[in-house]
Amino acid sequence: MGAGINSTEAMWEELVRLCNAQFNTPPFRRLLGATFTEERAQQYSIQMAYYVQNRRDCWGYVQGSAPFEIKKLIWQHEEDELIGRKTEGKVDHMTLAIKEGEVFGLCADAFEHTARLEGGEVCFSAWIRLAQRSWLEAIAGSAILEMRNSGELIKGGSLSRRIAELFERDLGVPMKKQINNAEHVVMDVEHAHLLMQVASKYANTESARRAILRGAEESLMIDRVYRGHLADMLAALP
Amino acid sequence: MNLGDDLLTTLDQMVNEQFDSIEFKNFLAVPLTMERGRFYVVQNALYTSNRRDCWAYVQGGAPLEVKRVIWEHESDELINDPRCGMDHYALTVKQGEVIGLKPEDFENAEIPSMVRACFYAWHHIAMHNHWLTAYTASHMLERRNNGKIVKGGGMSFRVGKKFENELGINLKKMISLDVHVVADTEHSENISEMFERYVKSAEDRDLVLKGAQESMSIDRAYRGALGYYMEQIK
Repeated sequence: MGAGINSTEAMWEELVRLCNAQFNTPPFRRLLGATFTEERAQQYSIQMAYYVQNRRDCWGYVQGSAPFEIKKLIWQHEEDELIGRKTEGKVDHMTLAIKEGEVFGLCADAFEHTARLEGGEVCFSAWIRLAQRSWLEAIAGSAILEMRNSGELIKGGSLSRRIAELFERDLGVPMKKQINNAEHVVMDVEHAHLLMQVASKYANTESARRAILRGAEESLMIDRVYRGHLADMLAALP
Repeated sequence: MNLGDDLLTTLDQMVNEQFDSIEFKNFLAVPLTMERGRFYVVQNALYTSNRRDCWAYVQGGAPLEVKRVIWEHESDELINDPRCGMDHYALTVKQGEVIGLKPEDFENAEIPSMVRACFYAWHHIAMHNHWLTAYTASHMLERRNNGKIVKGGGMSFRVGKKFENELGINLKKMISLDVHVVADTEHSENISEMFERYVKSAEDRDLVLKGAQESMSIDRAYRGALGYYMEQIK
């Protein structure tokens, strides 16, 4: 962790730098260097649905420990994910993931009956442990994953966008048909601001800023391990 | 009777028995003064905050479908209850005006030691147990407030009646207690439906009973603590 994180702005810059640096790590390079066959896309989509479920677990725990006004923000955040913005005709993100799966030849059953990746399960447990820590570490641990998926913050495109481009290149599935990826390309730009809202009020001491950075760094570390397992899974498939 | 019916009957019996416990009897027997009433209302706001912590933890550990039910439940509590046009914390603060409390009385309130221990105990059940145990532990506190189940009225109703009888404040003016008389009846019925879907085996039933027993035990300790602290206010 860098010394002298003496302002919220400096902390934010560091968080953005860390998110961008993810894409230059070996696990991310391996994942994004993969060529997608239909079978690989199917398995990737299923495992990502489990990732989305784990995010719901973690955000629940984060909401539990956060101050009242932050609980409200998280509750609203979870509306998009868990329920869907009904007023805008949007469905929840699990339904979206299952619908997107149809494009790759998957039926809903496949999401219920496919085993979770072992390495993924370990990462999910690690993220839950992080979500149960002190609330600033916990919220940073969850919010950083959305910052890493924000096209506004990541040079060269967010993870969802880069994966969507691979699906388009390798399988000829255009972005507009990848409804889950397309939604996250937009939604995570908006969601990425949540941590800044928190930081502007609560990151007013060196120790608070360090807690946020600690949570973010640990989560990005788990994220690298998780992406490495996904890359291994893809490499083992035809 | 099937597993689910038997279980619900047992849960009903447990919430009724709460009111026969020494801790509940003592708490409900402490004569209210205005100062004790203020103490209770502030403490009730802190209790409400602890409920928000716990329900979110329960949401974290629950299956997706149950997460959605809890999310809806938290809409009333955290965002806006259409029965009163505000969230339940704001409702408690507003209720405080009737007995001369200001928002800062709530913001600056300290959690007494024995109460803090109970709050941490509820956190522990919510965060570190099987989801059925965690879910039941939180649900039981609303079931214990459900006047359709508890003979003689749920806790909010009984405390509201004490304010009416001992301080001359009509229950309708104690807006938070009044809303909870209805809200917790609805909440406990909605949440209770999940037992029918998810309790399929003796093992599931035991997980539910564990949560019920432990939460009711903490609830007795909590009410005992409130009664003790109220008695110290002369």
